[in-house]
Amino acid sequence: MKGALATAAGGVVLNWGGLTGFRAIAEEARKVKKHCILLWMNGGASQFETFDMKPGRPTGGPFRPIDTNVPGIRICELMPKMAKQMDKVAVIRTMRTSEVDHPGGIYLMHTGYRPSANVRFPELGAVVAKYRGIVGADLPDFVKISSNGDAGAGFLGPKYQGFSIGSDGNLPQFSVSNMEPAKEAKRHDLRSFVEGRFAAETNSEVAQMHSESYEAARRLQKGRAAFKIDAEWAQSKELYGDSEFGRRCLLARKLVESGVAFVEVGQSSYDSHSDNFQWHRGLVPPMEHAWAGLLTDLKDRGMLDKTLVVWTGEIGRTPGINNRAGRDHYVRCWSTALAGCGIKGGQTYGTSDADGADVKENPVTEGDFFATIYSALSINPKAENYAGLRPVPLAPFGSKVVKELLG
Amino acid sequence: MFTPAKPKLRYQLTFEGSWPTSVAFLGSGRRLAAGNQLGQIFVWELPEKPPEFKAEPKGDRQAPNVWPVRRLDGHGNEISRLAVALDGKFLASSSFDRSVRLWPTNAPVTGKIEVVLDADSRKREARRTGKKESSKEPGVTVETQIECELLEGHKEWIYTLGISGDGKRVISGDAASQVIVWDAATRKSVATWAGHPWNWILAASLSANGKTALVSEGRYKRDDFDIPSPGLKLWDVATAKESLDILKVQFPKFSPSERSYNSAQMWGKFVGAGLIASAISPDGKLVAVGQGGETGTGTVHLLDAVTGKLVRDVSSHGSGITDILFTSDGRHIVSTGRDTCVRICQVADGKEVAVLGAPRGGQFKDWFSAVALSPDERTIVATDIAGMIHVWEFEG
Repeated sequence: MKGALATAAGGVVLNWGGLTGFRAIAEEARKVKKHCILLWMNGGASQFETFDMKPGRPTGGPFRPIDTNVPGIRICELMPKMAKQMDKVAVIRTMRTSEVDHPGGIYLMHTGYRPSANVRFPELGAVVAKYRGIVGADLPDFVKISSNGDAGAGFLGPKYQGFSIGSDGNLPQFSVSNMEPAKEAKRHDLRSFVEGRFAAETNSEVAQMHSESYEAARRLQKGRAAFKIDAEWAQSKELYGDSEFGRRCLLARKLVESGVAFVEVGQSSYDSHSDNFQWHRGLVPPMEHAWAGLLTDLKDRGMLDKTLVVWTGEIGRTPGINNRAGRDHYVRCWSTALAGCGIKGGQTYGTSDADGADVKENPVTEGDFFATIYSALSINPKAENYAGLRPVPLAPFGSKVVKELLG
Repeated sequence: MFTPAKPKLRYQLTFEGSWPTSVAFLGSGRRLAAGNQLGQIFVWELPEKPPEFKAEPKGDRQAPNVWPVRRLDGHGNEISRLAVALDGKFLASSSFDRSVRLWPTNAPVTGKIEVVLDADSRKREARRTGKKESSKEPGVTVETQIECELLEGHKEWIYTLGISGDGKRVISGDAASQVIVWDAATRKSVATWAGHPWNWILAASLSANGKTALVSEGRYKRDDFDIPSPGLKLWDVATAKESLDILKVQFPKFSPSERSYNSAQMWGKFVGAGLIASAISPDGKLVAVGQGGETGTGTVHLLDAVTGKLVRDVSSHGSGITDILFTSDGRHIVSTGRDTCVRICQVADGKEVAVLGAPRGGQFKDWFSAVALSPDERTIVATDIAGMIHVWEFEG
């Protein structure tokens, strides 16, 4: 029964972690030290108020485009700092995706797949943790800061599950043992002995994974300093902007610098069905300041070549402005952006029509988007893992890598 | 004295293509100006006697239309507010194009142009009848005017504009939290100050003599856990110094630099989604602020101008208020909002004495964006984002 595992109780579970051959591929891939930071715009930022403006059109809204450091590329006036970073950024203006509401969209843009009753697809972070993580590292391979998405590691198994921390970037209280170290060590030895015996006698991978998780939590105690950014924040506040999102981005940089393979940083509240323009005026400036600061910081530290920065939410917003001054959900044509890790910056890919209602040329599906991300991270998008007996490629069948985006 | 007796809808002026955002009377109840999101300002002259009109069964229109006579050309982005300065000699306008302009109300004509102000009606009619849309058909010919005085100093969207009761001072506030008080006659800035750098100025009003300013500042959240505190203060214009922090009176633990979710819980109920409309009573004893943005029910807080204490809440507009004003005798407050109603309430006891318009059935049904009262206080006008300007007259 290739790809499936028997439990102690005789049942069949999904093949967490894949088969031995696939483990070897993952280990080989890990030798390439690449990282990914996902900037998640929860609720769906408007393409019209960021990267695909339609000034003078009925769909345009009140903001005006500004020049960037790339001749010919103009973006929203709400993003003056990112305008100076456009040479590093590739904007995709023609996302055409298949889930128009939040739960489905969040799942889709975290996994590359639509939600399915039969298969639990892993999030991007879990895939990167598997293929780019460091075995036995003190820090988790997949960290989520104030973020969304609950697909988790899916069929890759709990070993690659994201480690979530709150909006302030602090470790959760449960991550610290309040026991005396000597007492904790003694207790840990006893627990390890009992659990080891149980695992050996039952040949249970579940027990083995529980043990691994416990060990990872203990190792985290040694890496706790990476999560403390107060001292660094004082110096970095200007670069990242004095905002909670800015602090989270600084923490993401620090974690990546400390070896974490994937960090997701969330910003909330883009679901602007009413007062879209005021909402974006509140949300976009601190976001773009932090994003620009992150790119500058990664570049200055020589990390940008190995760190992919992905900017996306789950959906775009309608060209039409409703009678609450809002924009609703829209997935026929919207924008995302990539930077670093070999992405060919200073370009926009795809063209929308005059009102931004549809793709004029070069549509990009969620599958294409994920295939391109995996390729930038030197992960084969066609690599397969098993969901039970079923081989599942990292990016959906038929997905195409957008080669124009890769340097 | 203002008497809201037997209001009658006299006109419904068609102003389609972009949302009307602001309105003001120009010296009398027969002449008015309205601005829209494109930055256009049109001027209407209403005949004493409305043209013959018969309402269609189930039709939206219940009063006749009159086309505008003039367009004021200059602004390049949304008109946020209109007001009249210097005894009706100037129309003041503020815009997202970062400028304040003073338009002489007796300026000569610059030229003529044909405009289409019923584009949405034509589309609806084409859909209803199945005929080809007649957008190519002639519109209406209006005069144009470019003569105006430019008041420069703001570097961001100008959200709000106010005029002192004597018409001599103009106050404007922008999205970079900058406030400027202007002398209307000299067009010079006489005072300037800034609020919290994260905020923008949502509403600003001057007292009758122009010596006191009421300024509301706020901003949409930067994140669920990063919510800048709003501000509501009285300022002494002569010194450009704060004279009363009203939110501090309401909430002694209030801190302008706090931005946590917990802090927002403290002031959220009072401020709602932002205090976006303001007014000072003619005698200067009361100030009024209206809860705007999309909120549950927007109310007007009436506050003591000396102590900052809440006198009472008056009026309530489902989904939020957009504009408020005091009548000249200070006995009534007129408000409008997202429930497509103009509500007139007594200041003394908060009693609602008249409602003009009617809710259209929930938050998805348009809103009234601004309200104005004619100098003789017999005519009231409200701009409707559905592309119409409603004009009511009171009896007497």
